[in-house]
Amino acid sequence: MGSIQMSHIMLFFVTLAVALGGISTDSFWLLRIKQELVDPTGILENWSARAHMCSWHGVTCSDDQKHVVGLNLSSSGLSGSISRDFLNLTSLETLDLSSNSLSGLIPAELGQLQNLRILLLYSNSFSGKIPPEIGFLNKLQVLRIGDNLLWGEIPPHIGNLTELRELAIAYCQLNGSIPVEIGNLKHLTSLDLQMNKLSGLIPEAIHGCEELQKFAASNNMLEGTIPSSIVLLKSLQILNLANNSLSGSIPVELSHLFNLRYLNLLGNIFDGEIPSELNKLAQLEELDLSKNNLSGSISLLNTQLKNLETLVLSDNAFTGSIPIKFCLNNSSLQQLILARNKLSGEFPLELLRCSSLQQLDLSDNSFKGELPRSLDKLEELTDLLLNNNSFTGSFPPEIGNLSKLENLFLFDNMITGKIPVEIGKLQSLRAIYLYDNQMSGSIPRELTNCSGLTEIDFFGNHFSGSIPETMGKLKNLVILQLRQNDLSGPIPASLGYCKRLQQIALADNKLSGSVPLTFRFLSELYLITLYNNSFKGPLPPSLFQLKKLRIINFSHNKFSGSIYPLTGSNSLTALDLTNNSFSGPIPSELAMSRNLSRLRLAHNHLTGNIPSEFGKLTELNFLDLSFNSFTGQIAPQLSKCAKLAHLLLSNNELTGTIPFWLGSLQEIGELDLSSNNFNGTVPAEIGNCSKLLKLSLRGNNLSGKIPPEIGNLTALNVLNLQRNSLSGNIPSTIQQCKKLYELRLSENFFTGSIPADLGRLTELQVILDLSKNNFSGEIPPSLGSLLKLERLNISYNQLQGQVPASLGKLTSLHVLNLSNNHLQGQLPLTFSGFPLSSFLGNAKLCGPPLLSCSELSGQKVKRLSNTAVVVIITAILFTSAVICLIMLYIMLRIWLNWRQVSISNSDNGNNGSDQQKREEEKLVYEDDHKRRNGEFWRVTVPSQSQGEVQNHILHFKMDSKAMNNTRVRV
Amino acid sequence: MAPISLILSFFLFISPALSTNSEGNALHALRSRFKDPTNVLQSWDPTLVNPCTWFHVTCDSNNHVIRLDLGNSNISGTLGPELGQLQHLQYLELYMNDISGKIPKELGNLKSLVSMDMYQNKLEGEIPKSFANLKSLKFLRLNNNKLTGSIPRELTTLSDLKVFDVSNNGLCGTIPVDGPFRSFPMESFENNKLNGPELQGLVPYDFGC
Repeated sequence: MGSIQMSHIMLFFVTLAVALGGISTDSFWLLRIKQELVDPTGILENWSARAHMCSWHGVTCSDDQKHVVGLNLSSSGLSGSISRDFLNLTSLETLDLSSNSLSGLIPAELGQLQNLRILLLYSNSFSGKIPPEIGFLNKLQVLRIGDNLLWGEIPPHIGNLTELRELAIAYCQLNGSIPVEIGNLKHLTSLDLQMNKLSGLIPEAIHGCEELQKFAASNNMLEGTIPSSIVLLKSLQILNLANNSLSGSIPVELSHLFNLRYLNLLGNIFDGEIPSELNKLAQLEELDLSKNNLSGSISLLNTQLKNLETLVLSDNAFTGSIPIKFCLNNSSLQQLILARNKLSGEFPLELLRCSSLQQLDLSDNSFKGELPRSLDKLEELTDLLLNNNSFTGSFPPEIGNLSKLENLFLFDNMITGKIPVEIGKLQSLRAIYLYDNQMSGSIPRELTNCSGLTEIDFFGNHFSGSIPETMGKLKNLVILQLRQNDLSGPIPASLGYCKRLQQIALADNKLSGSVPLTFRFLSELYLITLYNNSFKGPLPPSLFQLKKLRIINFSHNKFSGSIYPLTGSNSLTALDLTNNSFSGPIPSELAMSRNLSRLRLAHNHLTGNIPSEFGKLTELNFLDLSFNSFTGQIAPQLSKCAKLAHLLLSNNELTGTIPFWLGSLQEIGELDLSSNNFNGTVPAEIGNCSKLLKLSLRGNNLSGKIPPEIGNLTALNVLNLQRNSLSGNIPSTIQQCKKLYELRLSENFFTGSIPADLGRLTELQVILDLSKNNFSGEIPPSLGSLLKLERLNISYNQLQGQVPASLGKLTSLHVLNLSNNHLQGQLPLTFSGFPLSSFLGNAKLCGPPLLSCSELSGQKVKRLSNTAVVVIITAILFTSAVICLIMLYIMLRIWLNWRQVSISNSDNGNNGSDQQKREEEKLVYEDDHKRRNGEFWRVTVPSQSQGEVQNHILHFKMDSKAMNNTRVRV
Repeated sequence: MAPISLILSFFLFISPALSTNSEGNALHALRSRFKDPTNVLQSWDPTLVNPCTWFHVTCDSNNHVIRLDLGNSNISGTLGPELGQLQHLQYLELYMNDISGKIPKELGNLKSLVSMDMYQNKLEGEIPKSFANLKSLKFLRLNNNKLTGSIPRELTTLSDLKVFDVSNNGLCGTIPVDGPFRSFPMESFENNKLNGPELQGLVPYDFGC
């Protein structure tokens, strides 16, 4: 109390002194200023009338000790705001309040401190706009007010500060454009506007800042081109315009800025080629042109850019390779990042001369060919990133000489062969990623000499043999990814000594044996995947101690015994033990993992009830317990698992009714309760599961009708109610299940007719199976609308009437079964390609492939088909035409013979020659016959010509008889 | 502000390949092209070992994707070449959506495809010639889209093709008559700018469009 009284008295005296026009007014104002500051560390404690103002913390006085010329309260943990009383400290030349937690506005009154040369307010929480009055500080040389919450535009009045050397307003939320008045700041050497929301162009007037050495405006929204006037900024050493929207080509003028040491244009939309003139920038140390649209070949040369240490050209569209003579013999290039371009060709050997390289990134290009054996010339390499190329050949053993190598990324190439034993020499190696290559052979035990290794990823190669027994030497290992190889043998017990391991992925191999007992030491482990191997036997009970396990996938192995050892962690999110030989009950401890979202235990020998504790698993999304021997009812507590999307309980021995509360599972998409012993009815509530896609209740003892609410399942794709005791009609509401592509209602006791509305399920595709029921009446013609249907089975019902012709339009149908009904009449013609078995057991059905309908009707009248009639008529016409022709010919012969006889009678003296003639004629006949009948017709030649003719006639009769025979056969 | 830090932040540190399955990646890439206002693709979690438990995806016993059922699902967006990676796909059901853009030629890589239903969308461009590689294809329904160009003659080699519906598009040229095209009804070609069945014989059959 006393001290407060005292300070009040002091203040009174000071006020009095001011009132009397006293000498030390500045101290009065300082104390007023102090009152608006919060000073948790007490740094302003000695600011009191007891001490002379000039001894106060942070205060610098004028030579005459009368005025404050400097106030430095930087990094003093102060909060509160700046008092307007500052305006009274008229002698103030330096004000530094930087790096505190001061807030509120920057008071306009500061503009009255006419002697102020240095104003540092950066790294506070000042808000509001920059007061234009700041433009009155015409002696100001340094203005740094960035890293605050300032917004609004940069006031053009700033152009009045002609003495300004340094202007820094970075890390605020300033918008608008850079004022052209900035060009008035002739003595400005440093301009920092980074990380604002400045837009518009970089003013051409910038060339007025002719002494500018550093210009940083990165991370704004500047657009347009870099003004060519920038060529006049001869002193410029640092130019950072990264992450803007600048466009056009990179100006050649930049090459005149001989003092440039740092040039960063990353993250803009510059296009075209890099001007080779940039090679003139001999002072350049760091050049980043990444993330632009630059193209063409890389024209930069380290041999000219002699001081270059970092070159980043990644994420462009550069083509070709590294230029010849790129490297300087004693180059200082340390970082060369060329990732994600379109570079091609072999590994650029030229680079091997850049002996200072520490980081080389050629990833995501189109390099090919083998890696050079002399890669070890790059002795300084710490990071070698060659991933996502098309490198082939083997892993050069010389990489083992890169003793400083920390990160080796060769993934996504086509590297073959073994990992050389020399890998063991890489004592600094931390991460080795060889995934997605074609490497083979065993993993060398020498790898385990790389004691610094934290990450190993060999996924997707052909490594064989066993995992080295000495893995336990890798004490720093965090990630071990060996999935999808051909590894065999057991998991080495020593792996359990890699106590920092967080992820072990050994899935998709040929590993065998059991989980080592030492795994109980892996207390950091959160992911372990062993699926698709041949592990067997019970799990070590001590795995229960692994409390950080989140993801376990042991599916498709031969593990046996209890799953209890895997239930120790309360952090499980996914547990997949599908297809093993686990037995016994599900431990209720599993329900302690409240974040469990996937639990898959299908295809095991698990028994007992589904634990009612599962009701606590409110995050559970996927529950698959199918193909086990679970008994009892589905516990009603499961209704609290509101996020369940997959509930798969098929092929167990579950009993009771299908719970009505399933209708409250709003996320359920797949519900499979098939092949259990459920009885009772299909609950109407199931119609509330509006997201249900697949519903199978097949193979239970369900009875009663299908509830009409089934029609509310408008998303349903698959409905399977096969093999139950369901009865009644199919509700016509089923037509609302418009997305059904598979519908199976077979082997029930459904009655009534097949609803015509089924024809509206036009997306039915896989099957419509209504077989083995008691459906009666006719097949509705509307089924002909199921144009996508591939299988239709309505066999074993009491269907009657004709098969509607519309079914013939089912062009997609390739399996059809109408058998064992009472169908009749003609089948649609397009059904002729289906096998007989599709239609058997329908006594009155006819047409191809069955008997023709006329045969079926039992009438013996031979009715010929149109084609047969045509064939017969043609044959008759042909035969009669031939007969007529031959008769004509014979008549002609007879007539000729007659003439001959009469001639020979008149010429009796020439008997011998006549005989010869007859012989000749006979040959002619025979020839003729041979032509006509296709066979040689041997006749015993009678001496009389009459007999000869008769012989021919006889032959004709035989011929026409043969033709008659064929007709009979028709 | 140390300028060097900006450069080094560029040096990408790549995480290990803990979730690598090509079919899942392909489907996830497809998802990224789709607008899905009704969240039918919500369950497509790329971190799972395979996509077989995603809704609207069906796998065979070897965990290969054989069905993709996204018919009538309010989806818009485009298709991409990644679909061609689903080597075992038999049913591609994308009908009755708002899918636009071209049909990627990579769909011709789907050697096992039996059915491709993309009717009632806004697909444009040509029917890819690469469809001639779909040797198992039985059902190709592309009706009610905005397809242009001619019907590729190469499709006449698809001997199993039973249904080919391109009605209500902007196709032009002539209709092939060889191979399976002998049996397709004229309704499958209605409402196009087609010039009727191609002429065979001395005149070159395909006049183009």
